[in-house]
Amino acid sequence: MSHKNPLHIPSPFQANEPDMTPEQKEQQYVHSVYQVIAPHFSATRYKPWPVVEEFLTTMPAGYIGADVGCGNGKYIGVNPNLFMVGSDRSSNLISICGERGHEAMVADGLALPYRSGFFDFAISIAVIHHFISPERRVAAIEEILRVVRVQGRVLIFVWALEQTGKRDFDKDVQDVFVPWAMPKKAEPKKEKSAKSRPQGVKKKDRKAVEAAAAASSSSSATEDQTLDQKEVISENMEKLTLQDTTTTTTNESSSSSATASTSMSDPTSSETADPAAPAAPVYNRYYHLFQKGELEELVSRTNKATIVQQGYDRDNWWCIVEKAQN
Amino acid sequence: MRLITHNMLQCHVKGCNANNFPLELQEVVLEQEEAELNEDFLRNMLGKIEYEALVATCLKLDINDLPAAMPADAAYNDEFLQILHRVILETHIKSGKMVCPNCQHIYAIRDGIPNMLLAEHEV
Ligand SMILES: [Zn+2]
Repeated sequence: MSHKNPLHIPSPFQANEPDMTPEQKEQQYVHSVYQVIAPHFSATRYKPWPVVEEFLTTMPAGYIGADVGCGNGKYIGVNPNLFMVGSDRSSNLISICGERGHEAMVADGLALPYRSGFFDFAISIAVIHHFISPERRVAAIEEILRVVRVQGRVLIFVWALEQTGKRDFDKDVQDVFVPWAMPKKAEPKKEKSAKSRPQGVKKKDRKAVEAAAAASSSSSATEDQTLDQKEVISENMEKLTLQDTTTTTTNESSSSSATASTSMSDPTSSETADPAAPAAPVYNRYYHLFQKGELEELVSRTNKATIVQQGYDRDNWWCIVEKAQN
Repeated sequence: MRLITHNMLQCHVKGCNANNFPLELQEVVLEQEEAELNEDFLRNMLGKIEYEALVATCLKLDINDLPAAMPADAAYNDEFLQILHRVILETHIKSGKMVCPNCQHIYAIRDGIPNMLLAEHEV
C-alpha cells in the first residue's frame, strides 16, 4: 500500500536553518510560488469575505485606500465610491489587476512607494502571515501604518492556527508549508486521497526536512514552464477544486516533498502511466499561523495604532486598527 | 497608472529621504480614458494632492490645463474640479519611466503598471 502523501511538507523555516536569509525564504516559498500559481490562484479568488466587504462599503464616499498585497484585486472594486490603489509583490497577479482596469503596482510590502500619511484607510488581507519572522510581520504592519493618515483605519486578516476548516493543522506548529495543487490536464484516475493536512516541523523530521529544502532550492520553474502552466490552467478552469488533488506516492513524504516546492513536481507520476495526462504540480507556500491574540500583540508592538475591533472569521483572525496621533 | 497615483509615489530606496518627490516622468506614453466624475473623491483629494508637483509634472507632459495655483474655492469650483478630474483620473501613463530626482533610481512603467520593487541592497 502506498504511503498517502499528506500534500504538504513540514517547515524548514526555523531559526536554526542558517543557509537562507528571510528574504531568500520569502522569495522561494512565497513570491516565486505566487508568480507561478497566479492565474489559478486568481480563478479561485473572487468572492469577497463579508468582514472585508463591510469594512469597504461602510467607508465614507471619496475615501482613498491602499490594498497592500492585493493579489488579483478582488477588493479594489467592491465599493465604487472609493478610490483604491493595489500593490502586490507578484507582477503576474498585478497584471490581472491591470487587465481589470484597477489601479495597481508591483511593490514590496516592507517598502511601500507611497508618501507617508496619504491614505484614508488600508487593507491587508491574508498577507502578513507570509512574512518569515515576527520582526518582519511587525515591520509590515508599521509600513502600512506609515502610509495611512492619523485616525486612518487598517483592516488586517491573517490565517489562524485554531482553524477548524477543511485543513487539519497540527495545533502545536505555527510555521508551515501549505501546498497549492495546480489543476491537472486530465482527471485523476485514482481515488481521492485523504484531505490535505498541513503540518509543521517536528524535531524528528527536521533532518529530512532540511534535505528536502536543500534539494528543492536547487531547482526552480522556468519561464517556459510558467507559460505551459497557464495553458493547462485555462483549459481546466471549470474543473478546479482547491486542495483536492490526488497525490499518492510510494516514497517517504519528505522525499517527495523535495520535488514539490517552487519547482513543478509530478506527484502521481509513479503510478500514472499515461504520458498524455500530466499530473498536478504542487507548490508549497510558507505561512505563519496566528494564535489568538498574536495579531493584536504585533499591532501593539508598533506603538502606532489602537485596536478598534477584532474577531475571527473563516479560519482567520482579523482586526481593525486606527493609526494613533504621534 | 493614473496621474493621481504618480502624485502619491515617492522614491523609497533606503536612505533616500529628501528630495525624493515627485519622481520625474520620462519617455512617457499617455492615454486618455473617460471615467465617471466623483466629487467626493476630488474634494477629499484636494487636501492630499501636492498641487505644485502636479502642475509641474503636467507642464512637462504638455498638459497645460491646470491653473498655476489651486483656486481658493476649489472644492466648489465645478470648472476646476472638471479639469482636475480629467487630469488626475482620466490621464493614464501607459509606459515610461520615473526617475528619482535625488538618487536617480529608475522605476519602469509597462502596460500601465509601475514596477516599484527595489533590489535587495536598496531596501
Ligand atoms: Zn531616490
